[in-house]
Amino acid sequence: MRALIIGYGSPIRGDDAIGPLAADRLAAMDLPPDITVQARHILTAELVDDLRQVERVIFLDAAADSAPGEVRCRPLAPDPSAPSTMAHFHDPRELLAWCDTLYGHHPQAWLVTAGGADFGYANYRLSPLAEQALTRMLQQVLELLEFEQGHSSSLGEAAVAGVQEGPRY
Amino acid sequence: MSRTISIEPVTRIEGHARITLQLADTGEVEDARFHLTQFRGFEKFCEGRPYREMPALTARTCGICPVSHLLASNKACDDLLAVKIPPTAEKLRRIMNLAQMVQSHALSFFHLSSPDLLLGWDSDPAKRNIFGVMEADPDLARKGIRLRQIGQTAIEILGGKKIHPTWVVPGGVSEALSAEKRDAILKMIPEGLEIAKETFALYKSMVPKFKDEISHFGTKPTMFFSLVTPKGNLEHYDGLIRIKDAQGRIVEDMVPPSDYQRIVGEAVEDFTYMKFPYYKPMGYPKGIYRVGPLARLNNADTCGTPFADVALAEFRTLQDDGGPVTSAFHYHYARLVEIIYSLEMMQRLLKDPDILDPRVRARARGNRDEGIGVSEAPRGTLMHHYKIDDDGLITWVDLVIATGHNNLAMNQGIREVADAYVDGNHLREGMLNRVEAVIRCYDPCLSCASHAFGQMPMVIELRDASGYIVDRLSRD
Repeated sequence: MRALIIGYGSPIRGDDAIGPLAADRLAAMDLPPDITVQARHILTAELVDDLRQVERVIFLDAAADSAPGEVRCRPLAPDPSAPSTMAHFHDPRELLAWCDTLYGHHPQAWLVTAGGADFGYANYRLSPLAEQALTRMLQQVLELLEFEQGHSSSLGEAAVAGVQEGPRY
Repeated sequence: MSRTISIEPVTRIEGHARITLQLADTGEVEDARFHLTQFRGFEKFCEGRPYREMPALTARTCGICPVSHLLASNKACDDLLAVKIPPTAEKLRRIMNLAQMVQSHALSFFHLSSPDLLLGWDSDPAKRNIFGVMEADPDLARKGIRLRQIGQTAIEILGGKKIHPTWVVPGGVSEALSAEKRDAILKMIPEGLEIAKETFALYKSMVPKFKDEISHFGTKPTMFFSLVTPKGNLEHYDGLIRIKDAQGRIVEDMVPPSDYQRIVGEAVEDFTYMKFPYYKPMGYPKGIYRVGPLARLNNADTCGTPFADVALAEFRTLQDDGGPVTSAFHYHYARLVEIIYSLEMMQRLLKDPDILDPRVRARARGNRDEGIGVSEAPRGTLMHHYKIDDDGLITWVDLVIATGHNNLAMNQGIREVADAYVDGNHLREGMLNRVEAVIRCYDPCLSCASHAFGQMPMVIELRDASGYIVDRLSRD
């Protein structure tokens, strides 16, 4: 099953960087070739073309409405009315709806979020709580991939090692 | 009793804005204003920073236009270094700028304006959106996505990083282009050109339907301001400033961008956080001009690429008197011509034998205390102007933003459309949508355009949950 992981958020707004940072760490791991990873500032329209080509997508984002450090995972369904704060970028549910409307199908989708503690100015630097959440976030992604992808446990072992070591920023 | 209609937020644009229409007792429009309601302040908080940080700092002005700010800012830094960047670096920067044109214009046309163009201004507002377009013409929507993807992918291939690439640097670019990357971009271009040409043909066939809107959407006389090449042709990265009047007479020509302050003044008004640039010799507000795709095509003698020149010739027939194309509605047309041009020019530059030359960066320290960088962003001419002290720290910044140049024209445009369509005694949603649509013609980017000049008047309102004003602070 082809899968796409998209971590998104502003790299200069504190814990909002957790999405792209998580994506960067996943991209540095030895993931199977049918799993692609993207780090994004915002979700933009052309991502629909990537969504249509996969069976599964996992979005990684920071949450302002969760307790700091809390990691949540929930399935997403297409929703054309999902709010976009501006016309130039989109809610993941809206992108799924675009995909569904244009291509007649959409990937199975999950949203993994981590509650942020500090959204002040910073450059790819997380608060201690978010840093801890990042590790749990990656483990959550790997569980989703392993459970659905049917990859061997070696994926989990290799990946967890990558999570623990993690590239330095 | 007079009434005020407020259109808030203005939809399908970048950023937060409001339009207010002041109605007389008779129901006729007395005044119309476009308010930029968000405030940023980059010009002020960049002071004290090392000048080499400016490209990265100003690229954060906007999540949509970082490439445009990267280029103008690095050009200002090149000026501070007093270097002429290597020819291949200039070509590579040009390619990135053209890719930005493709993705930005595609978004404006296919996603923001096509609901009006395809479904009609009076169509059901619940369906007048991108999903309505997908239902009406899914193939067009798919092409729009693909065209934008081609532009974005080219930027990502060049920049090597998806978020805020640091590839463009003072003195050139940080890394030469590999043959593999060149081929990856070249491979996408034929498909992009095919989409662009098909869309251009489709749009041309639709234009006669919009006769009424074309005759009321921002047709009042303005000048046109843009960069042109030294030969007077279409230019997006470098070149010299040309200004033409509404009759096509050249008002200023071959003005070095370093002289922009001789011809561009900046005014402020108390109802918006967007500045009002104007042509200084004519004063404010008489010195109204427009920038962007419409101005660039009106000012250019030719595009310089085969199919874009054919399209430019057709563009010129839009104006019956043979003069500059004046209706703001034709920004849409001009964008499509520029997409074709950008793809053709990218292809030409990528096939240049020097494009893989490893010499792509000139190195120097700060050799001047003032630097100016001017380039064409998708929305128009973008100017970055910095002053530094002996330690290379920024002491003063002026950003003249593409959208800002069009501020006077956008305000004039909504008044013209409101006069033509809005009847205060029999309001219909389609009337107000047309007022918004004239703003969309300019594809404003308000995050970029919100800047202070001197001390701006400011009003802070504290409202309760029902919108009632419970407190108000003002500073004149």
